Amino acid sequence: MFARIVGQSFARNPRRKMLTVAALVVGMAVATATLTIALEVGDRMAREFRSLGANLLVTPQSDTLPLEIGGVDYRPVDEGAYLQESELGKLKTIFWRHNILGFTPFLDVPTQLAGSRVTDTTLIGTWYEHDVPVPDGTTFKTGLGTTHPSWRIRGRWFRDGANEAVVGMTLAARDPEAFAIGKKIQVTHSDGVSSAASLEVTGIASTGGAEDNAILVPLSFVQAYSGHHGQFRQLYVSALTKPADALADRDPKSLTSAEYDRWFCSPYISSISYQIEQVIPGIDVRAIRRVAETEGRILSRVSTLLWIVTLAALIAAGLAVAATSAAAVLERRIEIGVMKAIGATNTAVTALFLTEHLTLALIGGAIGFLFGAGLARFLGASVFGTPASPRIILLPVVLGLAALVALIGGLIPLRRAARFDPAPILRGE
Amino acid sequence: MATLVQIENLRKEFGNVRALDGVTFSVESGEWIAIMGPSGSGKTTLINILGGLDTPTSGQAVVDGTDVARLDEAGLTRFRAEKIGFVFQQFHLVQYLTALENVMLAQYFHSTTDEGEARVALERVGLADRIDHLPSELSGGEQQRVAVARALINQPKLILADEPTGNLDEANEQIVLRLFRELHTEGHTILMVTHAHSIGELADRRIDLAHGRLAHKV
Repeated sequence: MFARIVGQSFARNPRRKMLTVAALVVGMAVATATLTIALEVGDRMAREFRSLGANLLVTPQSDTLPLEIGGVDYRPVDEGAYLQESELGKLKTIFWRHNILGFTPFLDVPTQLAGSRVTDTTLIGTWYEHDVPVPDGTTFKTGLGTTHPSWRIRGRWFRDGANEAVVGMTLAARDPEAFAIGKKIQVTHSDGVSSAASLEVTGIASTGGAEDNAILVPLSFVQAYSGHHGQFRQLYVSALTKPADALADRDPKSLTSAEYDRWFCSPYISSISYQIEQVIPGIDVRAIRRVAETEGRILSRVSTLLWIVTLAALIAAGLAVAATSAAAVLERRIEIGVMKAIGATNTAVTALFLTEHLTLALIGGAIGFLFGAGLARFLGASVFGTPASPRIILLPVVLGLAALVALIGGLIPLRRAARFDPAPILRGE
Repeated sequence: MATLVQIENLRKEFGNVRALDGVTFSVESGEWIAIMGPSGSGKTTLINILGGLDTPTSGQAVVDGTDVARLDEAGLTRFRAEKIGFVFQQFHLVQYLTALENVMLAQYFHSTTDEGEARVALERVGLADRIDHLPSELSGGEQQRVAVARALINQPKLILADEPTGNLDEANEQIVLRLFRELHTEGHTILMVTHAHSIGELADRRIDLAHGRLAHKV
């Protein structure tokens, strides 16, 4: 009979319920859209931020103090420590390997130029697009294209392993004729011992950094040229990370077992650094603070904003539910009075109205979820360029939120309904 | 005949207003009592106290051995479900339930539902062909007969009817009064509030109230 009463109430008295459902649909649609985007935004924005460049710098632990001017290492090639190129595949074996979007090694060597007005410069050996063998037997394509996407080129980048060079735009401006695309340049090792080599200029690069005053060449060329086969000096890593919180910056040694597990299994910049240090011993991993901090700050702000919008939508829905419930209870006071007069307990009346509310919540939540998924697609397409895909995992969350909003919104009217004194109601007062 | 209702010095005050002022009377089992009096004389208050919808300020109202004045809220609810059958002037049916469901609603709050029994109750009041109709599809007289069926379904000790024909035209009034006469013949105890002397004369006894006091007992 209970189900029959509730069912008939819905089937034959739907008008007031439509208002409650409408309030819940609007609230849950906004909540679904913001939650979908909140889930998507971390990943999506982190990828967007990756276009700013690498966020981790790996150097040898036992390195000497770098002699860096304007970002270029001017130390002699036989000074300081080196890292092994053969170990780079291990980066794709760490717990957060899928968050390692790319990495690029660098090896700088001073050089002299023949046949140009410029006599001294730096050769920077690196990868533009290189296949790295991973221990699991696969290969991973990476290089400047991933870690330094803001670098611009006129012409084309050098081919891996070829005697080709890309000249920094500042350097090229100093002798446009010598560094024109298609021209050959002669480089001589500054120690005067090594033989000269010829490189064909394939492009002029604009990096916005010290590389604009240097010549970028394939890493293998510089390794052979300097005698440091299979070695490099610095590695830039681009990793997807989540914003730092209280746990992120704690010393892993001070964490409890549960905290350590949570820290290790969160893609903090600190935990990814730690995992890289574990697979490649003898290195020092540092966050490139400017990028990492900007990223973290903006991600946190966007997330906070989305949570506030979600909360506001839920509160608005709750208030609307409260208003419609209060009106519904007033409208149905005679029905409540009659039920109590013929023997309904307060619990029975509450159970009836509570069930109605929960049913409304399920209906409103489900419809709101569908609308919200559409809204998320639209907002995703407007803000990020691609629609945010609906997440079915949010359905139970949204239904739960709808139930919560319906219960909290209906709490005061329902309590009032349960406590109605039937005598004055039935007298028509 | 056993005494079913015993009222002793019953008082009810609403703030400074004294709705009942020392009312005393008794009702035997199977009696039909008409409670009469002008508006504001305390008739409905008396019925509400006897039906457990209200509590007296002082005095005793014993129905079938239970002093209503001593019951708490839960006790009053149970008392209403088990011992009282209400018939209101405004019928007070639940609008989104059919005639059958309105009768079954009283069963549900009493104990368990029995659709067959509810159908028999509606047939008993002459509504065999209106069982699946909503109140809005029934005439006033038919609605009141549904209300009577609902009042009877749990075999209450006492039927309390507050102006049951007050909203009916003469034809429907006669139908409903005939129903009450049949119930009386079957041995039901009825307390009926009415303004109409013609209806009052159908009862075994009349109790007249004025200003909350017993003005006259016939």
